[in-house]
Amino acid sequence: MSDWTLDELVVTALASAFDDDIRAFNGAASFVPVAALMLARATHAPGLTWVAGSIAVDPRPAAIPESTLSDALWGEATMYQSSAFDFWPYAQSGRLNSFCFRGAQIDAYGNVNNSVIGEFERPKIRLPGGGGMADLGCLCERVFLWSTTHNPRTFVERLDFRSGLGYGDGPGHRERLGLRGGPDLCVTDLAVMDFHPTSRRMRLRSAHPGVSVEQIREATGFELIVEGDVPQTPPPTPEQVRLIRELDPTDARKREFSRS
Amino acid sequence: MSPGKLVDLDRAAELVPDGCSLALGGLSLNTAPMAFCSALVRAGVRDLELISVVSGMSTDWLIGGGCVARLLMGLVSFEGFGLAPLFRRAAERGAIEVEEYSEHTMICMLQAAAAGVPFMPTRSGLGTDTIGRHPERTREVLDERSGQHYVACAALRPDVAVIHAHEADVHGNVRMLPKMVWFDTELVKAAARVIVTVERIVETASFRAAPERSAFPAFAVDHVVHAPRGAWPTGCWPEYEYDGAFYAAYQAAARDPQAFAELFAEHVGPLRWSGS
Repeated sequence: MSDWTLDELVVTALASAFDDDIRAFNGAASFVPVAALMLARATHAPGLTWVAGSIAVDPRPAAIPESTLSDALWGEATMYQSSAFDFWPYAQSGRLNSFCFRGAQIDAYGNVNNSVIGEFERPKIRLPGGGGMADLGCLCERVFLWSTTHNPRTFVERLDFRSGLGYGDGPGHRERLGLRGGPDLCVTDLAVMDFHPTSRRMRLRSAHPGVSVEQIREATGFELIVEGDVPQTPPPTPEQVRLIRELDPTDARKREFSRS
Repeated sequence: MSPGKLVDLDRAAELVPDGCSLALGGLSLNTAPMAFCSALVRAGVRDLELISVVSGMSTDWLIGGGCVARLLMGLVSFEGFGLAPLFRRAAERGAIEVEEYSEHTMICMLQAAAAGVPFMPTRSGLGTDTIGRHPERTREVLDERSGQHYVACAALRPDVAVIHAHEADVHGNVRMLPKMVWFDTELVKAAARVIVTVERIVETASFRAAPERSAFPAFAVDHVVHAPRGAWPTGCWPEYEYDGAFYAAYQAAARDPQAFAELFAEHVGPLRWSGS
């Protein structure tokens, strides 16, 4: 019996990817990234910038609400970017450089679908839509993916719809389009993955405690790159666990783990 | 006080004819013109082309009222309260036509309309399926001179835009407290006709006393509606928060056709489409 839970492990793993160069903002229903950004800021990355919901600069919220675009996340901010125009040019110029997204489907190149399962016109499942994914996958130099459903339905060879751009069709695609960066990492309920520097395909970086490489391969619907011995994802320290529970006292992050 | 641009909710709903293109303000669970949506449902408006950049409940209500033929959207969600149930069903059954864009390409379309130019360029959306499905609206273009790829977002001019704010005078000066306008600004600037619903009607003198806090000028606003708590169940910060209990109750009722029809009739208007 460990003294941390899976959601805390995922938050910690995502937070460990954030450094002082992160100038991030968050989208809708982004409970895990918001917790991770606050944790990183409270621990190893005090210089990190976080703009809540693209609106409230450097806030100190008391808790994480049901809507991560809502005012309940704006407490003690230094500024409200009150119009869309206050925000977008910073994302376009790179002053703001980081964004996290999750998808119902994610492919080997880190492209993401949050729009439809099935045909677009008569979908089997109509999802909420990409929102700003199609924008921020292009504009942000640093993109982080997360998923709390690491299984072959989420990690697929081919997306039904590309809502957000990762490395596109593979090596060179972003460069051809004149776009910087691309996805850094993908953190899931089973593992942490990054992207191979030449093939741009997803590569296993660490397996969560108690999860085997074989299990991760089986849960991934495309050929996952596995090189050498795969380390274990470091579990959260007691201090990290304490901070996560303090920063997210209503357990908003757990909402993402209750879905099938 | 002369009524000026002041109209009541039901009269304002009549200003939205069947088949027109209607843009609604708000951002997810923040400050959508919900009382106005309810008035449209009661009026039985039909065949709207609804333009909602980042919405949830407003889109769901208008679908339930049988008001929507086509939806241009970036995101429709209740966030932590789940997927918008009628939007999901209507899209899955083909009961409405859905055009999905992204937040920023939609903003660019509106900015092009406001600027009176055929399109606005952006790098947003490159390499995704959100562009090119409707090339008359968004398409990838290579700029020969710079060698740069961009997305051309064609001007989108809503017939009517409706937003919710805190205060207005009868002339149409509008204030938000604090000035939180997000993409309501783009809607106001792009639309042919602008309706603003407000928590309070105030004297013009209060605008003259604090002009730096005004959000929109009278010349940009065509009609003002006094609608206290007019954003409910979305929030109107800092005066009231989104009503989480209502979102949860709506979501729970959506699983039971009879319970849902009752809830909808009580809080919104006649339920004309629920897919059940």
